[in-house]
Amino acid sequence: MTTVLAPVEGVAVGLAAVPDPVFSAGMVGPGTAIDPVRGPLTAVAPIAGKIMKLHPHAYVIVGDDGKGVLVHLGIDTVQLKGKGFELLAAEGDRVGAGQPVVAWDPAAIETGGRSPVCPVVALDAVAGAVTGVALGTVHAGDELFHWA
Amino acid sequence: MGERKATVAAEVGLHARPAATFVQTAMTAPMEISVAKLGGGDPVNGKSILQIMALDVRQGETIVIKAEGEGSDEILEQLASIATTP
Repeated sequence: MTTVLAPVEGVAVGLAAVPDPVFSAGMVGPGTAIDPVRGPLTAVAPIAGKIMKLHPHAYVIVGDDGKGVLVHLGIDTVQLKGKGFELLAAEGDRVGAGQPVVAWDPAAIETGGRSPVCPVVALDAVAGAVTGVALGTVHAGDELFHWA
Repeated sequence: MGERKATVAAEVGLHARPAATFVQTAMTAPMEISVAKLGGGDPVNGKSILQIMALDVRQGETIVIKAEGEGSDEILEQLASIATTP
């Protein structure tokens, strides 16, 4: 059982609320999404493990058991090419759960016309493997869901 | 062993939407699907979004997709088509 933590502070709204069918239809995997508080934020690692991929707008942490969790900071934010994101860790780093990974500002993303909502997805998980999904207000580091 | 080469056309590479679509399509196949970068690297499981993301295929890079058995031609065609869609 992996406990996945909220990478940012905000409101857990569920994947169905993500304005991108790739996430809302569960194509990437099960999980949830957080509508972040507007203001400068530090996105943290949702699990302990190795940073397998680190883009400014998204990262994947893989735990020792091989489970990978994707955190995507906003929708269509790949188009920003890193502008407005500051990396606080490096690809290949080992991080503890809750350790800072990227600094960013959801308000700036929104001002730029994009949704700052953050999908948090269990990669390669079947839908039923994710349970106890939090709903409502969460703080970074709070339990977000369990992954059997 | 059937195989297709496909040059990834999407600006984001084989990530996000192209990766999810690719893996979802691969999942419909009964046989194993392997994907490797042309000219190097170990093949990964085409049905794993994690492994496809780890492969980190960029726009303009060519992948080799392999499958064998009944229906492999069709699935390879579909996967190559997804990879080459801008």
